[in-house]
Amino acid sequence: MFNLLQAEWIKLSRRPMAHILLAIFLVLLLLSLILYYVVIGFHEGTLTGGLGTITFLDEAQIQQYRQQLQFPGIYGAVFNQINASGGILAIVLAAGAMGSEYGWGTLRVQLARQPRRGRFLIAKVLVLLLVVLIAMAIALVLGTIAAIIFGFFIGEIGSLTLGQLLLLPVSMLQALLVMLPYVMVTMAMSIMGRSVLAGMAGGVIFLLLDVSLGALSFLAEMGGPFIFLYNLLIQQNINALVVANSSYYGLDTAAISPFNLELLPHPLQAAVVVLVYSGLFFGYAYFWFVRHDIFGAA
Amino acid sequence: MSTEQMIQTEQLTRHFKDHVAVDNISLTIERGEVFGFLGPNGSGKTTTIAMLLGLIKPTSGRARIMGHDVQENPVAALSHVGAMIESPAFYPYLSGYNNLRILARADGLPASRIDAVLEMVELQKAARDRFQTYSQGMKQRLAIAAALLREPEIIILDEPTNGLDPAGMVEIRSLIRQLVNEGHTIFLSSHLLYEVEQTCHRVAILKEGRILAEGAVDALLHRGRGVQVRVTGDVQKAIEVLQAVPWIESVKQEADLLLIDVASDQAPQINALLTQAGILVAEIRAREETLETFFLEVTGGS
Repeated sequence: MFNLLQAEWIKLSRRPMAHILLAIFLVLLLLSLILYYVVIGFHEGTLTGGLGTITFLDEAQIQQYRQQLQFPGIYGAVFNQINASGGILAIVLAAGAMGSEYGWGTLRVQLARQPRRGRFLIAKVLVLLLVVLIAMAIALVLGTIAAIIFGFFIGEIGSLTLGQLLLLPVSMLQALLVMLPYVMVTMAMSIMGRSVLAGMAGGVIFLLLDVSLGALSFLAEMGGPFIFLYNLLIQQNINALVVANSSYYGLDTAAISPFNLELLPHPLQAAVVVLVYSGLFFGYAYFWFVRHDIFGAA
Repeated sequence: MSTEQMIQTEQLTRHFKDHVAVDNISLTIERGEVFGFLGPNGSGKTTTIAMLLGLIKPTSGRARIMGHDVQENPVAALSHVGAMIESPAFYPYLSGYNNLRILARADGLPASRIDAVLEMVELQKAARDRFQTYSQGMKQRLAIAAALLREPEIIILDEPTNGLDPAGMVEIRSLIRQLVNEGHTIFLSSHLLYEVEQTCHRVAILKEGRILAEGAVDALLHRGRGVQVRVTGDVQKAIEVLQAVPWIESVKQEADLLLIDVASDQAPQINALLTQAGILVAEIRAREETLETFFLEVTGGS
């Protein structure tokens, strides 16, 4: 298995697509932080060129944006970005990692040598998740540098407790968990459709479908067993994990979040539900991958 | 040559909905053999190879490699096999060396093995270049290097000379001969009949999923047998003269040629017979059927 992991690592770590997606993500992260800085600057009048203050936000919201540019809130901002644009980029990466094997015809070369298909798929998924974790670590480093720079401009760097520092690995795993069902659906769709496009389309459609199911929030308002059913929907549990990741770093998610926080399930329940969904999607991908025929290049 | 069975298929069949891609193929390939697998495009060659490699499941029948059933025990069956299937398939953004490194890592092979196979296919100089920059010939050679990486006892090559120039084809033929001399068993699928005729001990000819002919190349082409004669004058009389001779099996007329079924070294006696009968012989020589003519004859000109 270790040999297969090494082989997958060579494939994915040297793939230009992975580097490009990471660069896109880091640029988006930086742009979002710059946007926060601009919003604060307009609110406080430091960027309006003497025109006074321009604001559409209340003081509590501005305070939240300010916190996202300094320690420890910067990490909350990084994880928010990871679970927003990072999720879509992870779908693209997963579709590329699996679907290209069909498109280039490399899968038949690999499986003719390594007929244990299940192991091959597990190695691919593990390396994909490892690459996503490494990308998160790079984003956190960038966030740390950004907090120092923005802290200089807004006059406050903030501080970080040891506890918050130790929470970073937990938050990384939590952010990974948020992406996991989408990555698994993408893998399954790439395998079923034998292409990058099928994977990407499947992942994005699932993402949109999942978000639109959030419209069923009236179920939660009805209370009782309805709230239990609503909390079994994947999006609700993902929201719970995202909000938890923000709150670890002092952000008041109620001020900037569109969710009704009181209706969100407990993070532990959320983690279990998301894991179950991910497991089901992986099982589906595994079933197809192990059973179906491997033809030539698509 | 020992008689150990390296590849064996028993009534191997694969249907794709209503289409029968491979129909009851039974083959046996022994250790040290170079076996040619011939057939027009779409005849089922690649589907058969894919079933041998466990990539496609047979609808019925079975394939065994060195006694191991490919479906039931694929790891044991395929651990002795190196294969090149269809066109060379590698990661375009990686160098030839790194592409082989992926395969070597997955197999737990040392890096020295990569250098060895690159040297065998003479690709050392371009090893660090990206695969996407390779010419077709270089891609073919890299695919052969990949097949040789784990020092397999059985090598399956699907159209290994596709896209190669004549010099490249000669190189690959000589590489195949070298591999045979080293004791490898080779399953060679190709539609380049001259290449197969030059390289293989035995062949099977496939059409629409069925084997139409199978056997030793020499036997199929009746090598050492048959004389062809061109006479001037009364051709009918020549046929009658020859048919009257008890040691001549048969005489067939094909355009202006008489095809006589006798041992090729009996051409002088035939010449004498016809001359004595007053028939002038314009040309007489041993008949040499090529695999190409045999193939066209068997497949009906596909």
